[in-house]
Amino acid sequence: MRLGMVRGHVVLNPAVPAFRGKTLVVLEPVTMDNLRARNGLGGGKSLVAIDALGAAQGQMVAFTEGREAANPFWPNAVPVDAYCSLIVDAIDVQP
Amino acid sequence: MFLARIEGTVVSSTKHPTLDGCRFLIAQRLEADGSAGSEPIVIVDWLGAGRGDTVVVSTDGDIARVRLGNTTPARMVVVGIVDPLQSSDCARQGSQ
Repeated sequence: MRLGMVRGHVVLNPAVPAFRGKTLVVLEPVTMDNLRARNGLGGGKSLVAIDALGAAQGQMVAFTEGREAANPFWPNAVPVDAYCSLIVDAIDVQP
Repeated sequence: MFLARIEGTVVSSTKHPTLDGCRFLIAQRLEADGSAGSEPIVIVDWLGAGRGDTVVVSTDGDIARVRLGNTTPARMVVVGIVDPLQSSDCARQGSQ
């Protein structure tokens, strides 16, 4: 998983049927420098992920990429390649 | 699989239900010359790795699916902690 800041939400209309009722968020991946600085910045190339946890704008999440991102929808086939796995409460790294 | 150095821990109360009880660590991927990647990664650990340890991370989610169920989004898992006494320089450099 990588870390990302939630920068907004995406609404699709129309969308593939498998996406019905699912929330999409725009994530900005966080670099190690920004994580150590605790400045709330991201720094990576942004991407869209499915979020079932209700992450709010400005929160930090950890997101899974690749085939495993579709595992939560098993056995349904959903065309997902990024999935918010957890919302970060706190991170303990040395500055 | 790749080498990574443990940099810290993650605390999360809101997460996918299959991840309840998992231990999450922040790590940085290591290159052969000991330099670290620019983006941190969040990995699942069942072996007890701590800050400063160099570990091998597998990006295959099968081991997580066996332990956490078919619907788990967990992917990166610590599959071993590098023994600094018996490993070659490129694996040791990360923990110095």
